[in-house]
Amino acid sequence: MNPLYILLSRVLLILVGCWLLNNAANSAESLRLGNPGEPETLDPHRYNLRLEETILTDLFLGLTTFDAHGQIVPGAAAAWTTSDNGLIWTFNLRRGLKWSDGEPLTAADFVYAFRRLLAPETAASLAYFMYPLRNAEAVNSGELPAEELGVRAVDEHTLVISLEAPYPHLAERLLYPTGYPVPAHVIKEVGDAWVKPKNWVSNGAYRLEDWQPQSHVTLVRNKHFFDPATIERVIYHPLANEQSSYNRYRAKEVHAISNFPSGELDRIRKNLASHLRLSPLLSIVYLVFNTTTPPFDDVRVREALALVIEPEILTEKVQRSGNIANGSFVPANVVDYDPAVMPHLHLDENARREKAITLLREAGYGTDNPLRVTMRYVSGMEAKKTQLAIASFWKNIGVETQLHHAELKVHFADLRQGDFQVAQAGWFGENNAEHYLGLLVSDTGNINYGRYANPAYDALMAAARQQADVNSRNKLLRKAEALGIAEYPVVPLYSVTIRRLVDPAITGWYENSRDVHPVRFLGWR
Amino acid sequence: MVRYLLIRLGLTLLTFWLIVTVVFFLMRLAPGGPFDGERRLPPEVETNLRAAYNLDQSLPRQYIDYLAMLGRGDLGPSFRQKDFSVNELVATGLPVSLTIGGLALLIATTVGIAVGLKAGLAPNTRTDTWLMGLTNVGMALPTIIVAPLLVLIFGVALGWLPTGGIGSFNHYILPPIALAMPFTAAIARLTRGSVVETLSEGHLQTARAKGLPESLIIRRHILPIALLPVVSYLGPAAAALLTGSVVIEQVFELPGIGRYLVQGALNRDYTLVMGVVVVYAALILLFNLLVDLAYVRMDPRIRLQT
Amino acid sequence: MIRSRLTRVLFDTHLARACSLILITIVLLAWLGPVFSSWEYDQIDWDALESPPSLQHWFGTDFIGRDLFVRSMLGARVSLGIALIATLVSVIVGIPWGAVAGYLGGRTDQLMMRIVDVLYALPFILIVILLVVIFGRNPYLLFMALGAIFWLDIARIVRGQTFRLREQPFIGAARILGVATPAIIWRHVVPNVLGPALVSATLTIPGVILAESFISFLGLGIQEPNTSWGVLIADGTQTMESSPWTLIFPGTLLAMTIWCTNMLGDRLRDQLDATGAGYTRTSSTRTHMRT
Repeated sequence: MNPLYILLSRVLLILVGCWLLNNAANSAESLRLGNPGEPETLDPHRYNLRLEETILTDLFLGLTTFDAHGQIVPGAAAAWTTSDNGLIWTFNLRRGLKWSDGEPLTAADFVYAFRRLLAPETAASLAYFMYPLRNAEAVNSGELPAEELGVRAVDEHTLVISLEAPYPHLAERLLYPTGYPVPAHVIKEVGDAWVKPKNWVSNGAYRLEDWQPQSHVTLVRNKHFFDPATIERVIYHPLANEQSSYNRYRAKEVHAISNFPSGELDRIRKNLASHLRLSPLLSIVYLVFNTTTPPFDDVRVREALALVIEPEILTEKVQRSGNIANGSFVPANVVDYDPAVMPHLHLDENARREKAITLLREAGYGTDNPLRVTMRYVSGMEAKKTQLAIASFWKNIGVETQLHHAELKVHFADLRQGDFQVAQAGWFGENNAEHYLGLLVSDTGNINYGRYANPAYDALMAAARQQADVNSRNKLLRKAEALGIAEYPVVPLYSVTIRRLVDPAITGWYENSRDVHPVRFLGWR
Repeated sequence: MVRYLLIRLGLTLLTFWLIVTVVFFLMRLAPGGPFDGERRLPPEVETNLRAAYNLDQSLPRQYIDYLAMLGRGDLGPSFRQKDFSVNELVATGLPVSLTIGGLALLIATTVGIAVGLKAGLAPNTRTDTWLMGLTNVGMALPTIIVAPLLVLIFGVALGWLPTGGIGSFNHYILPPIALAMPFTAAIARLTRGSVVETLSEGHLQTARAKGLPESLIIRRHILPIALLPVVSYLGPAAAALLTGSVVIEQVFELPGIGRYLVQGALNRDYTLVMGVVVVYAALILLFNLLVDLAYVRMDPRIRLQT
Repeated sequence: MIRSRLTRVLFDTHLARACSLILITIVLLAWLGPVFSSWEYDQIDWDALESPPSLQHWFGTDFIGRDLFVRSMLGARVSLGIALIATLVSVIVGIPWGAVAGYLGGRTDQLMMRIVDVLYALPFILIVILLVVIFGRNPYLLFMALGAIFWLDIARIVRGQTFRLREQPFIGAARILGVATPAIIWRHVVPNVLGPALVSATLTIPGVILAESFISFLGLGIQEPNTSWGVLIADGTQTMESSPWTLIFPGTLLAMTIWCTNMLGDRLRDQLDATGAGYTRTSSTRTHMRT
């Protein structure tokens, strides 16, 4: 007994000593942020997810960039001009820009980057973001060599981009990682291993220091950046789980989180009001049907299932977290645009239910042959609640639903593969209708998850994209939207209101409809 | 003794080879898996897999190549975590898991044996009843309930310890304790039972008659015999500890290989799961081998036989 | 003879009576309880999402407004059902395996027990994970994995018992009389090893329930909208602050069931020990840590 107790007490003493020492040493204050999940990749040309975009915004600087309020401002380009016909954009780069290893950043780097984005070998899902560039689609499908792409470096500081058709939103499009430069000098040496921390070179306010999957992504300040940041080090933690995200925040282990259990909203309003930030996001969460395989290749089935979904019940009763029901695919808060709402919304509940059952019967489903579907969603409480509610709407018309959930990056990877019947999906970002309607164009690529293909829709969208003036563009877009939505390739549900908790000691954090908060604008009080 | 060692080593290697082979063929059979010809893979993944696993070769050839890969210590690319290879994930995750598991084992053995000894030396007294009652509770409360409660109490409400993740010494306090609880109880019960049995053995009377001090009797005569069942329990305990650690890593969000394993299963990341299963199997077999050897050394009856 | 011993085990002490009562209540409620409630297990009460226990919802509702009492009882059916089936399978496979190995001895015994040793080393979770990665998330895989693991203890115990039995004169007599080996095993060995085998089986029940709850907690087992205690606890831990009843009810049911079956299994073992069946303690602790 004695020797054991002695051993135990000795071990305990050592442990306590280590603990005290450790607590004394830990004084460096890095900024710790919660991210909604684990990134799949940090290669800006291969990204897909908003949570990757958040990290990439700190690592790189595009031609244009965000300011602290989410507005578009000059980035790597100090100024730009557009030709009269809107087809030629000339960008004048800032002088003295450098990569994080000290190498100078020139216009040639941007040329290399655009060519890499659109090269077929890169297999970039978001390559279509740059299709407005001349020959971009042909280069991306391998028909033309990369040199034919409409981007040219006149000299070290001047970049000229030629477009297929006038595209007034180019400055906004360049905000995203698909327009970021990548270090040609590193990629030529190590190939795809350039994204590893030991090889990492980028041109943003931060560079990648460490990445441990399911644990953290650590960024450290880039001393060659033209406008050095205040905060030395920022650590992104993948906190997909609402409850543990909330736990960590309350235990003061992270300084900001981007999700928490919606059931806690009332308590937070009472106790943590100064930490709470609710910001409606330019976004649309929707259900997407796989239109290439049964049962959703039949428009009657799609319509039937869409008819009985009540977005208001989802947002007001089930989620109660500030999300806003949306009856149109283009979010209601897009500027200067009056979206087309789903045609059935004026019917009352019973009429819709009857119509749905009739449609299903016509398509061959009924009580003797019930429709069985598998619905996919992103792991997490909010999505689970929403999908269970939708499943119960469908149960009312005799449809049996199996649910399948996956981690965010895996969910969207499977969607891009077309590996689903009906699934939860979301789209965020730009303040124009085209950004959303482009998802339903047939040659968009695998981001058109349901592979919806309607030649009339494509034709209207192509015509809209020829227009130089935003108003005439919008008119044609509206026509396309009305056409597309009537075939129910997607069922719009709601726009997201991001609910965050942010430590009041952080300065420079401003709510904006794009929910961007570049760390280089943040500081401590 | 040496002969026994060689036989056990041989059997361990055979078992390992069997597991590796079964895993290899199971993966090939997976419907919709990466090795299923019908499935469309994203192009980058396809290229990586083809390169790593020589999918163009015949099956026996692939098998030999796979064994060669394992021999080199190369576990291939991850199917779902694009920028990482399985080796990299195991290299970062294994230290975390081993630390937690090791600490838990340490706690379970030291506290468990101490408690069991105390109870066993005073059987059927109040101490004994209370301690054994406590162990009963410890074994009945599942980790899946206890761990989240500990997080809430010590992490959030009291704020004494971190609620999850890694990064400092403090992060390694709560998880091993939560993990060790059921095993501490089990070891305590085992120790108590075998101490009680040993107490009635004849050689103790001789020792006492010789006038040896009680602590010496405990140390040299009771403990080594009483600990034999505990040592033989450690083998299967390692397997159970592994299961428990997977849950602990989930609740405390620790980036250990248990977490990668579960994520791999949920994400159907075939190559990651293959790699981690092989690593786990190797560890468990090694641990079992060591435990067997320790048992043989400790039990003089067996030692004299071999 | 077994029957009166059984009654002694179940009802003799206060503790035993309490445990038996609790278990019987849980089983009855699981079987009949949902009949008395007007709610379906997947029915949403739109006006009562995450609401505390009340007259309409005896255990309250969960995060999507489903009645927790009905779901807890469905969970009980699933968890207990799986435990029973797995135990049955393990008995059906384990007893013959151990009896044959123990009786035949020699090379056959070595081989059969070697297989047991190899499987014994593998944690249950690894097998489940392999099956899930290959075949996707399917509750029947759970059965397969459980079946693959829990018979091992029984096989070992039966083999040990058979070894002892082999030397008994009545076995020798049967052999001399020319009774065929399978008949000897079936008619003489198996009935005599039944006692310890059943004790082991009783102690696998809490092990299986625990294993299933772990697997479902991790999301690998039972999927929505079906449920088991593991799933309910996983959901409960997500909302344990705003709706603690979602954790308390399933958690208490799970803990009570495990504790009571452990308790009664221990008593059963003690009873048999007292009559000199020679059953060791070590194996039993291994059994219910067998995940």
